[in-house]
Amino acid sequence: MFHTLTWVIWLIAAAVPAFTLRNPLYLVLVVGASWIVYLGLGRTSPVGRSWGTFLRVGVLFVAVAVAFNALSSHFGTLVLFRLPEAWPIVGGPITLEAAIAGAVNGLGLLTILAVFATFNAVVDHYQLLRATPAFAFQVGTVISIAITFVPQMVLSAAEIRQAQRIRGHRFRGIRDLLPLVMPLLATSLERAIQLAETMEARGFATVLSPDSSELSHRRAIWIQVGLLATLLGLLAGLFLLTFVAGGSIWGWGLLILSLAGMAMLLWGQGRQVRRTRYRRVRWQGHDTLVAIACGIALAAVIAGRLAAPHTLAYSPYPPNSLLPPFNPYVGAALLLLALPAANQVRASESEQTTEPDGIQQ
Amino acid sequence: MIKFDRVTYRYPGMQAPVLREMSLDVEEGEFLLVMGPSGSGKSTLLRCLNGLVPHFYGGIINGRVRVSGRDPVALGPRGMADAVGFVFQDPEAQFIVDKVEDEIAFALENAAMDPLLMRKRVEEVLDQLGIAHLRHRSVNTLSGGERQRVAIAAVMTLQPRVLVLDEPTSQLDPQAAEEVLDALVKLNHDLGLTVVLSEHRLERVIQHIDRILYLPGDGRPAIEGDPRTVLGQVSLTPPLITLAKALGWSPLPLTIKEGRQFVKQLEAKQQAPHVLISSAQPPVSGTPTAAPKSFAISVEALSFSYNAHRALSDVSLEVGQGEFVAVMGRNGAGKTTLLMHLVGLLKPNQGRVRIASSHSSAALDTRQATIDEIIRVVGYVPQNPNALLFSDTVREEIAFTRLNHGLPPVDDTALLEHLGLAAHAGHYPRDLSFGERQRVAVAAILAAEPQILLLDEPTRGLDYQQKDALVAFLETEKARGRTIIMSTHDVELVARCADRVVLLGDGQVVVDGQARQVMSESLVFSSQINKLFRDPALLTVEDVLRLHQPRNRGKITHVPNSGTSLN
Repeated sequence: MFHTLTWVIWLIAAAVPAFTLRNPLYLVLVVGASWIVYLGLGRTSPVGRSWGTFLRVGVLFVAVAVAFNALSSHFGTLVLFRLPEAWPIVGGPITLEAAIAGAVNGLGLLTILAVFATFNAVVDHYQLLRATPAFAFQVGTVISIAITFVPQMVLSAAEIRQAQRIRGHRFRGIRDLLPLVMPLLATSLERAIQLAETMEARGFATVLSPDSSELSHRRAIWIQVGLLATLLGLLAGLFLLTFVAGGSIWGWGLLILSLAGMAMLLWGQGRQVRRTRYRRVRWQGHDTLVAIACGIALAAVIAGRLAAPHTLAYSPYPPNSLLPPFNPYVGAALLLLALPAANQVRASESEQTTEPDGIQQ
Repeated sequence: MIKFDRVTYRYPGMQAPVLREMSLDVEEGEFLLVMGPSGSGKSTLLRCLNGLVPHFYGGIINGRVRVSGRDPVALGPRGMADAVGFVFQDPEAQFIVDKVEDEIAFALENAAMDPLLMRKRVEEVLDQLGIAHLRHRSVNTLSGGERQRVAIAAVMTLQPRVLVLDEPTSQLDPQAAEEVLDALVKLNHDLGLTVVLSEHRLERVIQHIDRILYLPGDGRPAIEGDPRTVLGQVSLTPPLITLAKALGWSPLPLTIKEGRQFVKQLEAKQQAPHVLISSAQPPVSGTPTAAPKSFAISVEALSFSYNAHRALSDVSLEVGQGEFVAVMGRNGAGKTTLLMHLVGLLKPNQGRVRIASSHSSAALDTRQATIDEIIRVVGYVPQNPNALLFSDTVREEIAFTRLNHGLPPVDDTALLEHLGLAAHAGHYPRDLSFGERQRVAVAAILAAEPQILLLDEPTRGLDYQQKDALVAFLETEKARGRTIIMSTHDVELVARCADRVVLLGDGQVVVDGQARQVMSESLVFSSQINKLFRDPALLTVEDVLRLHQPRNRGKITHVPNSGTSLN
């Protein structure tokens, strides 16, 4: 069991190369590392089963990207076949280079999907929500409700579809959606109101400090005014940077100042929310290890980009070679992303680390 | 603990107040039952206790409410959350978090409780409700009874001094309802917790409650007092009480055990030995159906499994034209799966299901026939009427079904009157009460004039009066020659109208026989009256009354199914 923060760090370290690199060798390494992590840790989780679906969608992306790029981009010298020139857009030579470029683009999407699918399968969603910063706790609560709510809606939808079917309802056109959508909408609304009432009855809104409610109310207003001001500052900074010649120093200054102010205000707002945790996952040795490994992988990608960008980039079109360049240091660093899986055996043997707080103290 | 002083409340936009000059005094540790017909203001009254009325609903409230010394009208639900625990009707819409343990801890986390104390509270509550084994489960995998117990646990962590429950068992089957009610009785006895419960399944709680508050709902004042006094004056009573009142037993027996004393007296007084009663001809509904002319539905060696779980195995069943069959069995025994096969929504893995059709000479085999062919013959009313209703008016619901079936529009007045819906023809179906909505669903299915009617758990969420209305309706349909097959847990309903009982257990037919015989031989699937007399000829209140012509018959205030209007 890894700490939620560890997984967030892993997600960043794996997503940055997936988003920024368009070199198939590194992308394949990232997909491989995600796959190993999934095999090691994610397969047992109930949401883990969707991993294969994510990957199938990714493969579909690759196929679509290959077809699209090959048909629309006619650059390159290795001509596979030709379509009549008279055909708009698709007409002309169909080249291997264009197909490969499409495949690499598709692979990029597939990598992003694989990274998020793995994160989704290994992370404890509830822990993740509870880890939301205090100022955003309401957002966390809403998402938590959605996670509990959605499976029920899916069941209701199936029930409604069946009930209408045996009433003779057939789906012929958009108008026939009504008998399916209306009951679902009404049921959802009724459930939502019921849930709101439940939350009200259980006092969920009493999270603001009960003492000196007048004071905290006034503070809340000031924080909102402050947030608005910093937001305006942010906009002004961006405006200076983009439209005013020579305004870049002022622009950057305003930008940094506004961001700092916003962070402070949000932190102050978060402090008003008092919560405690029923369970707290301890940060353990293997968390540090994985965090360091992810840090190295991320640093290698950034360093590679700064020091030797030509070893990371790839373009199949002439005059470049069809073979992608490869930097072994970056490649090795990316493999570190698979490290969490190495801990699998130890994790399954080690004691439960998500016990409620009482036990640990 | 709870004090109402001349409380009057009116919902926004309503002319008449729901509560009128209501006064009430509940002591600490009391178990109060609030009963009354649907729409009589039970839920409203309960919501006054924690300020949901008027804070969540709006409206105007007059008078004084005090709950453990606090004023819910001033403090609102948030301020009352740690004093009043509130559990709602729908077991599916009360959860914020997916995991049982986290759900129970959620309120405490938000109240910023010290983690050590929180841990202790959660453990205590898990034990009190007997749900420690569920702690790591997802709420979506729990049964209805388990969910309601988790919901109770979630409010108990704040250690309220009053627990309020709004019909917590109306959506549950009898076993699950018992689980929940037993848990309540335990909390009341062991912790001295004040419990205010609105409920229409009285059989189970009646011997444990201290007081009943009856809201008649038609403007008359509420009746309040100990259970015997109140039940003596009202008509919404379980069969045992109804019989006791009809025969003038006093004091009213609340349990079968108490009732048996009177049965002994009755037998002695009438000098009718037990044997004589048994040999009496069973009334009409119990006469064996003389070899059915031809089958309406024939199930042959049907087996079905999904997700490697064997739901039905080797089920054979033949239902004759015009027969009324009740399919019974515990949850997960395969009742709904069987019904879905009968309407062709599921196709058998092995065996076959055939349906006689007047539209074609040969019987329809569900594997070959399309759903559209099958539903011309079979109408299926699902468990949840909300899944069907979507139109603006009740009339349009009926028209929609006929349109789907390619039938010409028809004057639906007779159908609506037959179901007691004539007054609601132009209303929005979802505004109606649960019982009425269910009848709209039945109307929407009957509009296609199917020869066979399937009903899945038709009594879920109905009170005694609505059940009487349902029985009356089903008997008329039977008399009209419609074949009816229903799956149900409700033994009283089966005792009153079914000819035949098919008992499923673990996907197999355990017993298949005449209702009277099956029920009198069973301990679990037997009606209250049958438990009382232990005689196959006596299943319902009417059976007993037919036999023991009481001298004081004129005093009978209420006999089910006679003169009850559909309402």
